[in-house]
Amino acid sequence: MRKLVSALAVLALSSGIASAQTKIKYALGDVIGIDDLPLLVAAERAKKRGVEIEITPFKNEDIATQAVINGQADVGQGTPYAAIENVNVPIRFFVQLWSLQFFPVVANEHYKGWKDLDNQEIAVQGRGSGTEAIMLLMAKTHGIKYKSVSYVPGSQVRALAMIKGNIRASILDNTNKNFLMREAPGKFTILPLGEVKASDESLFARLDYLQKNQAAVQVFVEELVRVNREINKNPMSIVEERKKLGLLKDLPAKLEEDVPTYFKDAVAGGIFPNDGGVESAPRNDLEFYALSGSIKKQSPKVDDYWHLAPLKAALSRLK
Amino acid sequence: MTGTYGQRAWQLASFVLFFGLWELAGRWPVSAAFPPFSRTAVALWQMIADGSLLKAYLITLQPLALGIALCAVAGIGFGIGMGLSRSVEWLSLPIFIILQAAPMAAIIPLITYIYGIGLTSKVLAVIMLAAPVIVMNSYKGIRNTHPSLLQMCRSFQGTRRQEIVKIVLPHAAGLIFTGLRLGLAMGFIGIVIAELLITPTGIGDLITYNSSIADYPKMFAAIASIVALAAISLHLLERLERRWFP
Repeated sequence: MRKLVSALAVLALSSGIASAQTKIKYALGDVIGIDDLPLLVAAERAKKRGVEIEITPFKNEDIATQAVINGQADVGQGTPYAAIENVNVPIRFFVQLWSLQFFPVVANEHYKGWKDLDNQEIAVQGRGSGTEAIMLLMAKTHGIKYKSVSYVPGSQVRALAMIKGNIRASILDNTNKNFLMREAPGKFTILPLGEVKASDESLFARLDYLQKNQAAVQVFVEELVRVNREINKNPMSIVEERKKLGLLKDLPAKLEEDVPTYFKDAVAGGIFPNDGGVESAPRNDLEFYALSGSIKKQSPKVDDYWHLAPLKAALSRLK
Repeated sequence: MTGTYGQRAWQLASFVLFFGLWELAGRWPVSAAFPPFSRTAVALWQMIADGSLLKAYLITLQPLALGIALCAVAGIGFGIGMGLSRSVEWLSLPIFIILQAAPMAAIIPLITYIYGIGLTSKVLAVIMLAAPVIVMNSYKGIRNTHPSLLQMCRSFQGTRRQEIVKIVLPHAAGLIFTGLRLGLAMGFIGIVIAELLITPTGIGDLITYNSSIADYPKMFAAIASIVALAAISLHLLERLERRWFP
């Protein structure tokens, strides 16, 4: 009997160790920045629950996506709808991190509003990117046509180019919009943008991976949703969590000041879903990315792009 | 004749082997993002037929041609100057040696901080890669002039001008041309790095865009096309070099 008890204890211990060793290889298509704080907090909390999130920053989203397609990474971050359509490996999104929050910015010296951009040059992130889709959508809304669209990867690169006067009209993320407005006050105007609620960053993985590792993915998703809810309740909570967990320690003092502003703006813009975007994200994404040309399939179905089982399971536990 | 046929057969066999292995690796597949040769060839044909490849090359070749033309004039001139004058050599040699050794992929993105994201930056990227080779070859060509030829010129009371025009420059011409050929090879590297790291235009745009939408056959076709264009250009220049400077 004693032997049986000790054998069961060893078994329980070894299964505990096995669960502690569950690792999700996470491919991030950018350097780790302020906007990744919710992810970092969720990763720390998931680790305490036995799911280690190993984050590897890649040069860009394309390479990160390629790593997921090839099976070198388990989870990727972004909105590679076109890639999902083209590749012969089933890839599915499973949770939305945040929706699009971009700011069309123009140099006051040259333009005042959308109409002034008719037959003018603009710069966006890349061909087929969300930023291009927004700018094309706005052109359609305002009945204008751009002379040319340049592709300049990196919001920071575009912001610097705007300060130097090399770019007169572009679209920036929140961090770099704040940076631009602080570095060159009064020189730039933010153009009004209609309601765009599609995903900026959602998580995706190979379908077989999601099916085989639902327990670990569910823990991770639970923590991501939990952090988003905390931020929506109190944007300063992420600042406190950062200090408590010692995250992004080497952040320059200048950028440190941006952390509270970034999260307050983001919460005001309603970009963090409280439910991982279970209902809204697939619906909004399919509509927006079909309009942008990333989704080519006629009458696309949610199941072809999203696998919501881990998110639904996580939400039922969080209630 | 048999020798030529034999050579051609081996060359053909090398291509067949390479493309055959590529096809096998793609069908195996080594990765979901690695297309077989046949699909890549079809994608290449599609891009030729719809005009996207030609349109891309018209954009890519512009900074390449400008950069190489500038290097050909200024680089050769500088190299000759370094070869003929010790002061110019001492002043410039360290810069070109450092440029030759510097990891350009890390330096090229820095150009954008000064010259922005337009054509100038891309021309500069081509120059930064091509110039050191062109300058150093011109310099070495001048410096390696056979001393006995120079002594002969002087013993015939030849002037410094005659020494340069009739002995030094013709003697260095072969090496200067080799420098131009190698400079063009570096220029191809420079323009592709610039189009991938500065702003995706031309062939760089075809590579990045098709990578972003996971159209890997087209991405590989774009890469293969620039490799083929560079290889053919260099091969033609090498043949020209052999004919002009046997």
